[in-house]
Amino acid sequence: MTTTTRTDNAALFAILSSLADNKQAIGRRYAYWCNGAPALEAAVAAAAMTQDELGHARTLYPLLDHFTQAEADPQQIEPETRTLHYHLRFLDQDFAGWTDFVATNFLLDTALTTFFEAAQNSTYDPLRQRARKIMQEEQIHWMHGEGWIKRLARAGGAVRAALVQSLTSLWAETLCWFGPNDDPVMQRLYQEGIIDATPDELRHRFLAKVVPTLNSVGIDVPVTFNAATKRYNQAQPLPWNRWDATGRRFTA
Amino acid sequence: MNTITTSTENAGQQRPRREQLNETRVWQVFARRKYEEPLHEIGNVVADDEELAKVYARSIYDEFSWIEMVLVPRASIVTVIAS
Repeated sequence: MTTTTRTDNAALFAILSSLADNKQAIGRRYAYWCNGAPALEAAVAAAAMTQDELGHARTLYPLLDHFTQAEADPQQIEPETRTLHYHLRFLDQDFAGWTDFVATNFLLDTALTTFFEAAQNSTYDPLRQRARKIMQEEQIHWMHGEGWIKRLARAGGAVRAALVQSLTSLWAETLCWFGPNDDPVMQRLYQEGIIDATPDELRHRFLAKVVPTLNSVGIDVPVTFNAATKRYNQAQPLPWNRWDATGRRFTA
Repeated sequence: MNTITTSTENAGQQRPRREQLNETRVWQVFARRKYEEPLHEIGNVVADDEELAKVYARSIYDEFSWIEMVLVPRASIVTVIAS
């Protein structure tokens, strides 16, 4: 007879569910573009990134079975049987164009990587191990996203306009994924040393990565730069009334 | 929502949308699998952006665990004896 010792940690279970679902959804959306990218080289890169994202999801889903919270509904711990989908609302639909791919790559995937960076020295071993491997692969994804942001922005005209539209559609929901600063889920992970940052600190780290690239191609985002603290801050409040804390996604 | 704006519009508005994304810069890809072997040409990629060229080379020529891979812009190659 085998017995499974499960950990009781609703916050960690919730975040792992969200990470896995987002990685899975990103991979599925990327997959559509493996033969639809603007160039053969980009299509091959899209295929490689698809494999990476689905691979990240497949390393995360099995962790759910280690938690007491999985006992309530065992079908929710397998991607094939899972009926809950805690990915961003933006990923509910197929990408409307290549610019949606690039925006997801540059904004959402970078936000998730910001979380994994904060888990590099996690007190939860399985997450720490996966975070380091995922970060290695994400270096290439970042180069791809940044390269395409610059390329599409410099193309000008309708191409640039489509890119700005895609970034606008994803911007607020990506920033909200970290949760409000008093988010009990992220705060518990922070207090338990599972991650080394609060939601606001994660958002600062994310903005420090993406805003300079956007600024370099003249795309203005709603942030202000505080010269004293050398940090970017939101110029306007995030739309928390649209955010569902359970799914970590917009409801409308 | 209309929160992200664009402060500069580049030239290129007159060109067809697909043509704006055509890449023109060719990079020769060299790599080696062992320290004792020299770099040899394994193919090429087309990308105007150097960082994207790196991404493409890594994803297209991923059949081996290379210990070194470099890119050389085709335009910088000087022909000594033409074929």
